[in-house]
Amino acid sequence: MIVLDIISWALIVSGAFFSIVGGIGIIRFPEFFSRLHGGGITDTMGAALILLGLMFQSPNSLVAIKLVMILFFLLVTSPSSCHALSNSALAQGHWPELDTTRKSKNK
Amino acid sequence: MIYIDIIILTLLAVTAVTVARIRDLWAAVMFTGIYSFIGASWMLLLDAPDVAFTEAAVGAGISTVLMLGTLALTNKAEKPSTSVPVVPFLVVLGTGAALVYGTLDMPHFGDPEAPVHQHPNPSFVERSQPDMHGLPNVVTAVLASYRGYDTLGETAVIFTAGIGVLIILRRDKRTAPDEHSSDEVVT
Amino acid sequence: MMFIVAAISILITMCLALIRAMLGPTVFDRVLALNMFGTKTVLLICAICFLTDRTDFLDLALLYSLMNFIGMVALLRFSHYTSFGEEVS
Repeated sequence: MIVLDIISWALIVSGAFFSIVGGIGIIRFPEFFSRLHGGGITDTMGAALILLGLMFQSPNSLVAIKLVMILFFLLVTSPSSCHALSNSALAQGHWPELDTTRKSKNK
Repeated sequence: MIYIDIIILTLLAVTAVTVARIRDLWAAVMFTGIYSFIGASWMLLLDAPDVAFTEAAVGAGISTVLMLGTLALTNKAEKPSTSVPVVPFLVVLGTGAALVYGTLDMPHFGDPEAPVHQHPNPSFVERSQPDMHGLPNVVTAVLASYRGYDTLGETAVIFTAGIGVLIILRRDKRTAPDEHSSDEVVT
Repeated sequence: MMFIVAAISILITMCLALIRAMLGPTVFDRVLALNMFGTKTVLLICAICFLTDRTDFLDLALLYSLMNFIGMVALLRFSHYTSFGEEVS
């Protein structure tokens, strides 16, 4: 089906674009709290678009249901880990650089 | 497909070198977890899902947690080495060269004429369909039924190792007199 | 063809996350890179399943997303160098 192929192509290419953008962001940003944005983009937009694109190519419905479950687990656990990570960083005294009222433990 | 193989193997090599060279032990444990992730993807490319399952559960989950528990009891950074170890380097180089020379004689990957596929492997594949009442996975049939004693020994060894590790990593009340009592609820 | 594009882009992102894990001055940068690496491995396994046309391997991706979460929570619980069962304060 040519329509399904076009839809899958569009979704997978945009998911790949967001993944690479998140990867470049995690390298180029100057400090830890800015790099969390790169991780967040990859975990949600990149994963969701690529998995949606793969769902349209599944041969039977069991594969599509498994992909939905994988997407659900990824969307629940990955941002929770990032949130716990930033909580842990704040508890140890690292503040964002743009927060001028508090002094950060960073260099 | 060959490009994916090359990239994954390169990532494996880079991660292994990083684990050996990094000084901070915390980061070394994390890189061991990354190594297990890449290793499971590589095993999936080699068409071995059972081994990939085991690598995922053991390498990325249990092993990382146990190593972190060990790190909580010991130093956080490796002591810097003072001299260049020449003799161990030569020994490792010689052993590695001998092993690589030994693999040149092995049959090709998946060769049907290899000795391991001649006996008793065809009888396993033929007998597993009527014996196991339709179970499609021959690897599980060999592990659990035709070579069941090996699996029993393996389970006993791993159970003993797990109990030993848990005993070592347990919090000892005699060495920490100012800790909370054990019946406090941990949130 | 589209699966090859997806797999190559996921591998490029994995390389970038590995660079950040090697560079990162604080430990939190490394943990963030590890989290991203785990998510990308799950996606790579799904793409490889569709590439080699064996869709039974999707259970492995499901297991991996759970293992990633457990590993991350264990790391963060030990980040204050406490032992098992103590509170992170």
